[in-house]
Amino acid sequence: MVSGVAVASAAGANAAVIRAGSTSLLCVLIAVPLVLLLLLSVTRHWSYPGLWPDALQWSQWRVMLSGDRGLLDALVSSLLIAVIVAVGATTAGFLTSQRIAGHRRRGVLLMLALLPFAISPVVLGVTLNYGFIRLQLAASLWGVILAQFLFAYAYAVLLLSGFWNTRIAALSELAESIGADRFQIWWRVRLPLAAGLLGVSLFQTFLISWFDFALARLIGAGRVQTLPLLVFDYFGSGDFRLAAACGVLLVGLPLAAVLLNRRLLAWPLTAASSRV
Amino acid sequence: MLTAGAVILALAFAGLYSVGVLGLLSESWTTAHWRYVLFESGVWSALGFSLALTLVTLGLATVAALATVLIVDMRVRRGPFAVLVYAPLAVPGIVAALLSYQILGDAGLLSRMAHAVGWIRSPAEFPALVFDRLGVGIILTHFAMITPFFVILFDRLFENERVAELRQLAYTLGATRMQALSRVVLPLLLVRALPVCAVYGVVLMGAFEVPLLIGARYPTMISVEIYSRFASYDLTARPQAYAMATLYLLLVLAAWSVALRWRPRPAQTPR
Repeated sequence: MVSGVAVASAAGANAAVIRAGSTSLLCVLIAVPLVLLLLLSVTRHWSYPGLWPDALQWSQWRVMLSGDRGLLDALVSSLLIAVIVAVGATTAGFLTSQRIAGHRRRGVLLMLALLPFAISPVVLGVTLNYGFIRLQLAASLWGVILAQFLFAYAYAVLLLSGFWNTRIAALSELAESIGADRFQIWWRVRLPLAAGLLGVSLFQTFLISWFDFALARLIGAGRVQTLPLLVFDYFGSGDFRLAAACGVLLVGLPLAAVLLNRRLLAWPLTAASSRV
Repeated sequence: MLTAGAVILALAFAGLYSVGVLGLLSESWTTAHWRYVLFESGVWSALGFSLALTLVTLGLATVAALATVLIVDMRVRRGPFAVLVYAPLAVPGIVAALLSYQILGDAGLLSRMAHAVGWIRSPAEFPALVFDRLGVGIILTHFAMITPFFVILFDRLFENERVAELRQLAYTLGATRMQALSRVVLPLLLVRALPVCAVYGVVLMGAFEVPLLIGARYPTMISVEIYSRFASYDLTARPQAYAMATLYLLLVLAAWSVALRWRPRPAQTPR
């Protein structure tokens, strides 16, 4: 009996060691690429077969932030485009999701709203390009914003459609029964209740635009410079240090936001796991 | 609907361009571009290559994520891993491709480590993991990008579906570890995760940045094939890009309409 308990406790200890070892290994595997990106952005020279750079320097950051390389322009236009897309898509998505939620063919409408995701940005960018040229939206900031809006709006509709449940409907009816008009129902009841989810939608639609490469390249046609396009240009020219520095800027903002508040990315996964 | 309308508009533009009705260099209606795309171009190999890479990536990511959730167990929800598992979700494809080149390339981090332990003597001896014809670099990069997402998804399902309790019940009823895994845990998790996996599969099929930066010239994924013809200096190749895009759009729309008809029905409660 005693030996049976001892075997069981030894097996439990082994399992705990395997779990701890696996967790540590996974943490290292996730952290190494991010550390490498940061390291590359401050590397001066890194010759083969060294496992560590020969020399570090901050000059690429100084050069980039001085504005000589057009990084500030790209950073500002990336931020501007992403903020406009996020606010526009979340606002339109919130209103549309409410109309869809009350529709009897809700499922079909949601599938139709998601259609751009099925097609991939590059294919939609290529096929819409002719229309954008005719409308004189190609090679312009507003053209890129409109193209990215299609994807962000589709995502916002899907994300926010989870908000419209029977509880929200009952509270809206209650507010109406005590004399609230349509504006007051939206402003005093629905918006405060949806605030958390609207924040998640703003963040995620911001990311759709912030990370976009294909639409900015195809619709922007080289006239609109964004951070992902700069990473591509530096990568193509073999300047990996500057590409990494742009990459740090590109990853830094969403990474900090996610590490501070995991809900910003976790919410849709939680919803998917409980809804599917 | 705005989004569906945009897709229909895109299909119309692409279709008309591909048959010579629209376009700067078009002279008259023609089926020459379609004949070229359907019978001579690499569109079918690009579609097949995209599908193969998507299936392999999805398969590997599903197995790895399930193994992580089952081995690491509760640690997915606490400690440093609970925070770090979200980090890859904040990395865009373009940066992931840059990192893959720096890690998997012949002078990358893995090659340097192989040199340090004496497995290779020069970068040329390191196996080609980027720009390779089998798409290993693309698979590994997409795998690294989506596996954390699947880990979080399976962990949430594990909790919401009370899989731990059901597994314990199976043990109580006399099931072995393997039986509990194959008959209770895996069916529950995989069936519930199927819609999300399908959406990710479609997204991976149309992946662009990673194959553009670290993929081989041939074979290429369908997005890169369309883009390279569209962005070619030879403007007469542009209608071929539109024909390929139209073909891809039609295939996706067909798959989407099948998915619309085949939505999972709620389970019948026994009377």
